[in-house]
Amino acid sequence: MKKNDLKSMGKSFTKYILIIGALLILLDFTFHRHEYFSFAEIYGFPAFFGFVSFVFIVMLGKWLRKFLMRKEDYYDQ
Amino acid sequence: MISNFIPGLIMIITSFLLPTIPQYFRHPAMLLSVGLSALSLFNGYGTFLEWDILGLNLILYQSDSLTLPFAIIFHIAAILVIIFSWHSKNLMEHMATLAYAGSAIGALHAGDFFSLFIWWEATALTSVFIVFAGNTNAAKDAAMRYLIIQVSSGVLLLIGACLMLYQTGNHNLAVLDLKTNFGIFIFIAFGIKAAFPLLNGWLQDSYPESSVTGTVALSAFTTKLAIYALARTFPGTDSLIWIGAIMTAFPVFFAVIENDLRRVLSFSLNNQLGFMVVGIGIGTELSLNGTVAHAFVHIIYKALLFMSMGAVLYRAGTTKASELGGLYKYMPFTTIFCIIGAMSISAFPLFSGFVAKSLIMSSLGGMGMVLIYFILFFASAGVLEHSGIKIPYFAFFAHERKNKVEEAPINMLIAMGIAAFLCIAIGVFPKYLYQILPYTVDYQPYTLDHVISQLQLLVFAIIAFLFLVKFKLYPSEIRSTVLNSDWFYRKMLPGIGKPLFKKIGILTESLYKNLGLSFKQVLSKSYKFSNLSYIKVTTPSFAGTILISILFIMLVIVLV
Repeated sequence: MKKNDLKSMGKSFTKYILIIGALLILLDFTFHRHEYFSFAEIYGFPAFFGFVSFVFIVMLGKWLRKFLMRKEDYYDQ
Repeated sequence: MISNFIPGLIMIITSFLLPTIPQYFRHPAMLLSVGLSALSLFNGYGTFLEWDILGLNLILYQSDSLTLPFAIIFHIAAILVIIFSWHSKNLMEHMATLAYAGSAIGALHAGDFFSLFIWWEATALTSVFIVFAGNTNAAKDAAMRYLIIQVSSGVLLLIGACLMLYQTGNHNLAVLDLKTNFGIFIFIAFGIKAAFPLLNGWLQDSYPESSVTGTVALSAFTTKLAIYALARTFPGTDSLIWIGAIMTAFPVFFAVIENDLRRVLSFSLNNQLGFMVVGIGIGTELSLNGTVAHAFVHIIYKALLFMSMGAVLYRAGTTKASELGGLYKYMPFTTIFCIIGAMSISAFPLFSGFVAKSLIMSSLGGMGMVLIYFILFFASAGVLEHSGIKIPYFAFFAHERKNKVEEAPINMLIAMGIAAFLCIAIGVFPKYLYQILPYTVDYQPYTLDHVISQLQLLVFAIIAFLFLVKFKLYPSEIRSTVLNSDWFYRKMLPGIGKPLFKKIGILTESLYKNLGLSFKQVLSKSYKFSNLSYIKVTTPSFAGTILISILFIMLVIVLV
């Protein structure tokens, strides 16, 4: 039972986030979202930007490990 | 009488008296001193105390619309730190914390560069004891490095102030530009404490080494004092826009791979300072309001996040992501408070970060700065990644925990509760925050466009996280050290300097030896010169090497 707690929490969290995400995209079609820059007014632009930025940050960070990561006692040596 | 008393000074006096106060009454006395200092907030604007000394007129206590919001939040932060550390019996840390907060408040009210310098150094000298109180060898080493960097900032400020007085005959705080040499000195001095790119190493080096409670105090004052100083002296300096934009973006990548969650928060702090620096660089009334509002709310949610990680460190003994997880069951209140802090820093609508960050974003958008706007928008997704998701996820969820731990002590919960309450209250009722900002601006953060845009960004960034975890693309936590700009003076300079000094040492020693021998031949009775122990040249220590290198760089700057 205990092991399933986090898993079931994760599952329901994912479900609700996806529903909210879908609603936010649908909402974009119901009104004209004014932005400072016209290209940002494309349907779902902030959503797309958020998703891509997040993946980019994590992937680039992961890649940077090659150059920036050292052993935990690096400075003690 | 109290109206002429420099705000914060009473806290410094109390800190010196703390050893004479019984343990049981120390915290009430500290709170009382903050309360007495806070009376100054009702004094209104004006110059209240000046001092003519050595032909100089020092403005020790002045207050205006820029000082007030910072003074309010510094007092609030001091109260939060005192409550959070109520359980602790570490006298040195209490003294240092109270004097440090008092110095920072005093610095806000300085009206000239020499008074500011005194407080600037006072914050350095008091806060180093907070790092020191981390009480590990790593903390002691970090404290020494911290002191060298902080004092260097003060020295640069003093050089700038002297040059300014010499060249213009004026030393009062005024708007400066980078066309003057004193302007550059003062800019770099502020830039060090504001953790500009490549000058930021000290922050991530020292803050995570401090104690459970010390980091909370450190996170509030030094960097925001630098933001205040920049806002006062360099508003509208174009280069700050780019410096700030780089500050928002580049710590994000370091935060992704850092394993120590308190260090992740230190990178996050750096990123948040970037938003404020951009606001100063734009220099309009709206953007400066944005900077002040952001500094105000940031102190609260950053303290809240550091408090929650402090509570985790206190109970679980570590803040390394690789060794944490599953604490939500045992520390439910801390979990909730941490999530509130995380949502505030990520700028979810109805939380404090949203109403502050919006001011800066709107001023960028209004001025048509498309590239900077989207760098900051991108950095907002980065904030969500490291502070919004990584901190709560790895500490409290991630996987089930085997050993039980206790919930945080009641005083910690109260401090976190107050901070969490403020995060939501400011988010829901932003007009009270807007009322104390330096300029009167009619601004409405809650427009449908803005709320939907921000929610789309955040929700889809969370979906990206879930996607990466689901497909096992999210990097696992690894015990490691992530290189940062402190590498230059922790590895590179000693790496070059030590062998160099050794070589010089050998050369000069042989020179002295030959000299000594010739002296011996000439004056056969002179033992002093012929005794080699008198002329032995020692290679400087690690700290010495750094110090000499910094002095050398400063010498080069002066000559240039």
